Amino acid sequence: MRKMTVRGMIYAAMFGAVTAIGAYIAIPAVPVPITLQTLFLNLAAVLLGGSLGALSQVIYVLLGIIGLPVFSGGTAGLGVLFGPTGGYLLGFIAGAFIIGKLVEMKKNPGIAWIIVSMLAGMVVIYIFGALQLSIAGGLSIKKAAVAGVLPFLPGDFLKIIIAALTSVKIKDKINI
Amino acid sequence: MYNIGQYIPGNSPVHRLDPRVKIILLVILSIFIFRADLTVSALTTAFYIIVIAVSRLGFLRVIKSLKPAAVFFAFLFLIHLFFTEGTPVFSFLPQYVSITFEGLHRGILYTWRFILLVLSASVLTMTTRPSGLVSGIERLLRPLNFTGISSHDTAMMISLALRFVPTLLEETQKIKEAQAARGANISSGSIFYKIKSAAALAMPLLVNSCRRVDELADAMEGRGYQRGPRTYMYELQLTRLDYAALLIGFILVFAACAYKYF
Repeated sequence: MRKMTVRGMIYAAMFGAVTAIGAYIAIPAVPVPITLQTLFLNLAAVLLGGSLGALSQVIYVLLGIIGLPVFSGGTAGLGVLFGPTGGYLLGFIAGAFIIGKLVEMKKNPGIAWIIVSMLAGMVVIYIFGALQLSIAGGLSIKKAAVAGVLPFLPGDFLKIIIAALTSVKIKDKINI
Repeated sequence: MYNIGQYIPGNSPVHRLDPRVKIILLVILSIFIFRADLTVSALTTAFYIIVIAVSRLGFLRVIKSLKPAAVFFAFLFLIHLFFTEGTPVFSFLPQYVSITFEGLHRGILYTWRFILLVLSASVLTMTTRPSGLVSGIERLLRPLNFTGISSHDTAMMISLALRFVPTLLEETQKIKEAQAARGANISSGSIFYKIKSAAALAMPLLVNSCRRVDELADAMEGRGYQRGPRTYMYELQLTRLDYAALLIGFILVFAACAYKYF
């Protein structure tokens, strides 16, 4: 594990803020608008590694908890975290950790391995998201998956490809 | 500090409560809302009406703060309304789409719970300044220090991130305008084109931010920033008001448990 330095923590704070900004950049699309949170989540995990990547998402969630309207749709607060759609936020933390750890496993991860890691992270995020949607929303798992996973898949695949390409380009610019 | 949160300054008893107490009460209430039936939901709503009246926030403003989440409320309600099996009360295109009594009941219950959850968080953020919430969270996270990131570090990172957000928003706007001046257009064209132009936005934003982070890290290290315990300008202190609020909270929960199980 990389040692937790002040520089690393500042990077985590910045990526938390960038993820929050990503919620504001919405690209109109069918069936649901695509926001850039998960794009920045993927980048944070690959560029910072598992621990700091997860930490950056903790910061993002905390920003929302203290009242910044940074959760999807411009919502905020602990209530959203506990509510039916809060599972994705917990999934962001777990997902970033998994992606970062998988990428760290290889010394020089190629773009294929980065994409595989991001796909694994996406699966983790959706498991958390769909589970909480079904428990707190009172839906069956199947319904939760149809409503809370399927509409987002096309956008997520595109974002993963772009995140992978971008991360390879700027990986050398970051030295923690 | 930029006031980008939902905080509305005031001097009511709810405003003066210790942030820690408010967070704890909110968490207890949330767990409680989870298991609420329609009666308990109605009682909780009544409780919030009192809290909002006491804190003099103005009902209109509180209801307005729920607006961003309205899409999710509607979505959850409709999903239950149309996709729950049971006795139909109303159907159009019989056999295909029908509204059932069970669906109506579940829809109202789950949506109401969700509204209450968001409402309770709104009341918290509207009556507590962000800096108060940060120090409240910092104190409450102390038991997690064993993870290697002390709660002081977390508080430092939240403060930094809070400061980054307006800067980054401004920067995003600048990059967007610069690209628009060169003919880029994020809201038209095929989906691939849109995504590509979004990535063209993300890249300079990230590179600039990384430069900013490096400068900040150099500055902090140069001035000998140390991780570790710090002192505070305003120490949080529990007052009689806080103990009273905690007591009321616990009595409410006990009353509800008693009602539910006896």
